[in-house]
Amino acid sequence: MFSPHHPVQLVLGLIIWSLFFVAVYSGLSVGCAFAPPSPEQGALTWINASVLLLMLATMIYLLCNAYYCWRARLPSKSSDNQGQPQKVREFIARIAASEYLLAAVATLLVGLPSVYLPPCV
Amino acid sequence: MNEPQNPSQSDEQNLDNQSRLHQDFARVWDAPKGWRTLATVNHTPVAMRFMVTGIIFFLIGGVMAMLMRTQLALPGQDILGPELYNQLFTMHGTVMMFLFAIPVLEAFAMYLIPKMVGARDLAFPRLSSLGYYCYLFGGIILLSSIFMGMAPNSGWFMYTPLSGNIYSPGKGSDFWLLGITFVEISALGAGAELVVSILRMRANGMTLRQMPIFCWYILAMSLMIVFGFPPLILGSILLELERSAGMVFFAVEGGGDPLLWQHLFWLFGHPEVYIIFLPAAGIVSTILPVFAQRPLVGYAWVVLSITLMGFVSFGLWVHHMFTVGIPQLAQAFFSAASMLVAIPTAIQIFAWLATLWTGRVVYNLPMLWIIGFLVVFVCGGLTGVMLALVPFNWQVHDTHFVVAHMHYVLVGGMLFPVMAGLYYWLPHVSGRLPSDNLGRWGFWLFFIGFNATFLLMHVTGLLGMPRRAYTYEAGLGWDWLNLLSSVGGFVMAAGVAMIIVDIVMHFRFGQQSKRNPWQADTLEWAMPTPPNSYNFASLPDIHSRNPLWDQPQLLTSIDAGEHALAEIHHERRETFGSDAVTGKISHIIHLPNNSWLPLYASLTLAVVCISLLLRIYPLALAGTVATFLVLLRWGWVNGAHPGAAPLTKDEHLRLPLHSRTCDGPGLWGMVVSLMANGTLYVSLLFGWFYLWTVSPHWIAPQQSPLALSPLLASGVLLTMAVFYYNRLVARLCKGDARGLQSGLWIVTGLGLLHFTLLLWVYVQAPLDPSSLAHDSVLTVMLLYLLLHSGAAVVLCGLQAQRVKLGYVGANLPYEPVVLRPFWLYTLAVFWISFAAFVLLPMSWGGA
Repeated sequence: MFSPHHPVQLVLGLIIWSLFFVAVYSGLSVGCAFAPPSPEQGALTWINASVLLLMLATMIYLLCNAYYCWRARLPSKSSDNQGQPQKVREFIARIAASEYLLAAVATLLVGLPSVYLPPCV
Repeated sequence: MNEPQNPSQSDEQNLDNQSRLHQDFARVWDAPKGWRTLATVNHTPVAMRFMVTGIIFFLIGGVMAMLMRTQLALPGQDILGPELYNQLFTMHGTVMMFLFAIPVLEAFAMYLIPKMVGARDLAFPRLSSLGYYCYLFGGIILLSSIFMGMAPNSGWFMYTPLSGNIYSPGKGSDFWLLGITFVEISALGAGAELVVSILRMRANGMTLRQMPIFCWYILAMSLMIVFGFPPLILGSILLELERSAGMVFFAVEGGGDPLLWQHLFWLFGHPEVYIIFLPAAGIVSTILPVFAQRPLVGYAWVVLSITLMGFVSFGLWVHHMFTVGIPQLAQAFFSAASMLVAIPTAIQIFAWLATLWTGRVVYNLPMLWIIGFLVVFVCGGLTGVMLALVPFNWQVHDTHFVVAHMHYVLVGGMLFPVMAGLYYWLPHVSGRLPSDNLGRWGFWLFFIGFNATFLLMHVTGLLGMPRRAYTYEAGLGWDWLNLLSSVGGFVMAAGVAMIIVDIVMHFRFGQQSKRNPWQADTLEWAMPTPPNSYNFASLPDIHSRNPLWDQPQLLTSIDAGEHALAEIHHERRETFGSDAVTGKISHIIHLPNNSWLPLYASLTLAVVCISLLLRIYPLALAGTVATFLVLLRWGWVNGAHPGAAPLTKDEHLRLPLHSRTCDGPGLWGMVVSLMANGTLYVSLLFGWFYLWTVSPHWIAPQQSPLALSPLLASGVLLTMAVFYYNRLVARLCKGDARGLQSGLWIVTGLGLLHFTLLLWVYVQAPLDPSSLAHDSVLTVMLLYLLLHSGAAVVLCGLQAQRVKLGYVGANLPYEPVVLRPFWLYTLAVFWISFAAFVLLPMSWGGA
């Protein structure tokens, strides 16, 4: 796991969101191509359930990371600062926490339509 | 004993020293005179060339727009005719997007980034020069088609099958595909070098949180170019292969799918809108605080919104395809993402409004354009949210409403900020001020003309007028709207004319500008205007986000040579290399001198492009070989070569030169280039899986056409080569160069065996790419692998030779380190290809 002050944290939340997005779109396409549920089932299908589960898992992971970075924004007694000035560490941790949070919101918004829309129609 | 000097003598001596220092720097950095100036690689003149060329293309694109508005002014007109009208709207969009918007914004970035981060040039100056010539020649080739009456006419997005051989049998589509791909070399080059320059060339102490906000925007734009352009490059290559070599990718019979083109195009096309918007917004975020006379409110929020926008904009592409028959749930994913992108936009708009609210705003001419931007862009953003709603989108799809929305977003989001930036930085370029009166006239004519044209066009679209129709019948309710739109278009053109007169005149008659005329905070104003070729005679430490407000003495101390690296006796172009996060300097980057090689390389590429257009394939092959040779020559005079930076005895007294380290800009450049390359490869994989799952006539043979055992053996040889190379480099970075030369020769040999075996697999395979999409994709994949393996082998062999000549060794480990990611990439794509193109189809019951 990366330190909350590692610069990769500035983009990691959104990379995870992107992977979630690609997974649900491509998974939906493949699912509809090879094992399409009956349209009569509406939104109560294995595809919708998979999207929702993936959404929940991704959101929980993103929110945990948001908390992890948010906690790390304050100065610590540890001397392991990798040569970074405290203000830079704080800057990275704050932005990373906000991005994880926004990525979680984005995950929720993208996944939510699977509650009520049929997958392959 | 020396006599003490009096103060005036001392001042005189200081001035003499300063003048001598500047003369010495100018001798090393200045561009050659006369026609030799074509060999210039310095970022300032190259950026200016991009800018001027982009403006010329803008005027040409504008004339096309005026011709179309003339045609549409009244119903039933036949001034242009349908064929020419089709060519004009295709070329107008193409020219404005590819030849104006992106290059001009890149020009801003190339001109400003080194100056803002306190560097003397960009990381890869010759790449800048190559990029310019590719842009120029590609643009000329593309534009020449309209004068020959064979311009592309399928729309700027070139949808298949309309752009395919059957419906566009002429050369028009080929001009587009080859010309645009040629131009995109320029964009990708600029993207890579801007990323590296921003991350690795900042002034000592300029941490990430102190980076000028413009740099964040350009960093995001550059990375978006790196990831956004390759899908279109791949699409263009595939479509051109289909048109000229008869392969099958987009034709339904044979297993292709025309929708694959739409996916590849919009995977590029939607991020493209933000690639254009982000740097323009960067101009706003830079200028607005200067005229509000206070720092930008919410710097961290703006950084957050830039990153968010950069990512989310890649999740919107299907909203251009809502009417092609995609399931509702998939549409909902993209609809949600399309609405999400309003959040980062809103964050920025509120940050700008808060800055204005809490500042003491001076309404100078650049500020007028910023206000125009805020009004127009917010309107465009609102219609964008409307279009993100699927039912509304269906209603107005392909009507003038979409044309109006697009122009509000692109002109509002790009042209208005660019005009603000142009007026803001003109005194930097010329040392003179433009006319305020002419400028204000230009603004108001443009603003009124623009809104008259496009505000009304929303109504025309809502009343049902389709786009791309060359004429319409009277009495449909569109007549007066079109007439007023056309009048507005000409008013806007008058505004553009006024601005051009102002800008051209100011170079001759403009009032001399004082230093830092706007009282700006960013470092580019710390240099004399017009700028000198080396930007800064000495490189200061920067510990503030607003250096000129917090360290005003920089205006004089930099010129006086009071900071670091104020030495030029070595006759090398040098600047600092620093840590990506902390900005702490770690080495000195030695930059290349002026060179003809970029021009030669672009000329040979132009030969390739033209011969492919004319389908003279032997000439295209010769051009390719010539390009490769020029590029090898380019790479040869590098590092410790006597023509670059040979080893000297006093090296240990200074920071190491980058070619003496394992972490120079070339390594970062390689990694960023491979990100672009990887995106192209992933797009190919996407195409493979897309056709496999979606194409109605996809046919896969029962058995793989590729010989499995030789393919596996080839992979094993490549794996051995890469592992051995990796070990050699790891030892080299620890200072152990024993057996380096022989080791590199062994790697070259293993790589050559792998290449030969792979070539044999390709030649022996009974592929039928002219009938089957399956075989076409396999062919492209094999050629891709061969290209990478071949390049890795040649470059490794050259490294072995350079060890022999003393250009690479224990003290000079840099070049093998740069090559390492390329080998690793080649290995990764080989095994991924093996899994995706061979193993997976076999396990699925059809190869």
